[in-house]
Amino acid sequence: MTWGTGLFWVSGTLALLGAVLAVGLRNIFHNILGFALALVGVAGLFLTLGSDFLAMVLILVYVGALAIAMVYAVMLSYPLDTKPEPRRLPKVVGAAALAMLAAAALFIVVLGAHFVAGTGPSETSAAWVGRRLLSDYVLAFELISVLLVVAMIGAVMVARKARMPKAPLQRAPRIIG
Amino acid sequence: MMPLAGYLTISVALFCIGLYGLVQRRSLIAMLIALELMLAAASLNVVALTTLAAGAAGGGVARQIGAGHASSVGQVVALILIGVAAAEAAIALSLFVAIQRYASTINVEDLSELKG
Repeated sequence: MTWGTGLFWVSGTLALLGAVLAVGLRNIFHNILGFALALVGVAGLFLTLGSDFLAMVLILVYVGALAIAMVYAVMLSYPLDTKPEPRRLPKVVGAAALAMLAAAALFIVVLGAHFVAGTGPSETSAAWVGRRLLSDYVLAFELISVLLVVAMIGAVMVARKARMPKAPLQRAPRIIG
Repeated sequence: MMPLAGYLTISVALFCIGLYGLVQRRSLIAMLIALELMLAAASLNVVALTTLAAGAAGGGVARQIGAGHASSVGQVVALILIGVAAAEAAIALSLFVAIQRYASTINVEDLSELKG
């Protein structure tokens, strides 16, 4: 077993295990930890595909920033001492049936398609990604920066406490001459 | 190097686990987690296909920039996906905090004011 194959199996197992933990557990903190584990697994899969830069970005953004933001949102919004409500069986069965149906349809499409084998990963992926981002895809690159700034300002505006006037607004006294 | 089918299988499994969570969970944050899992599955799909498969999607690009570097296009698409997902999650989390402040819950079954 080569290094890449071993990494593939370990990462794939981590990704699926993390996803199951992120969805199946009752405690929302455990869900977030499972989510981080799943994203570490996906980053490992990116590594086996030769996308080293992408793997690092994925860990930075998802595990480093997004999971932390989720923990903050949980702490700001949950009453942490309440017990989670029991699950309703029909909903679980319905959701599982829907997921199984989607999985079956996707598997039929994926395994039925005929893909021509390509050349495999290249060696210097980060340099080429940078060159692509700043030449052909520079518009998308700039739009993402604008989108992130707008999202950041919007998040602050939405989440901050709306300042209600304590007293009715006092108008400046009109001078009636 | 693993075959393409392995990556696609993992991607399908991740996507469907996310779909199950999105339908079944009731907390908005748990639904967001499931949605992000689905997005990660999609970007894994894009990167695996552009790296390991040549053909309709990668053919023109591969001819244009050299066969070994067609995967960089998929990586750029995945980077943009990550950026969009981060922006979306930031907005969503701030909305959850605002909803919690307004309705004292983020359980979607209690947030039914707009139901007729």
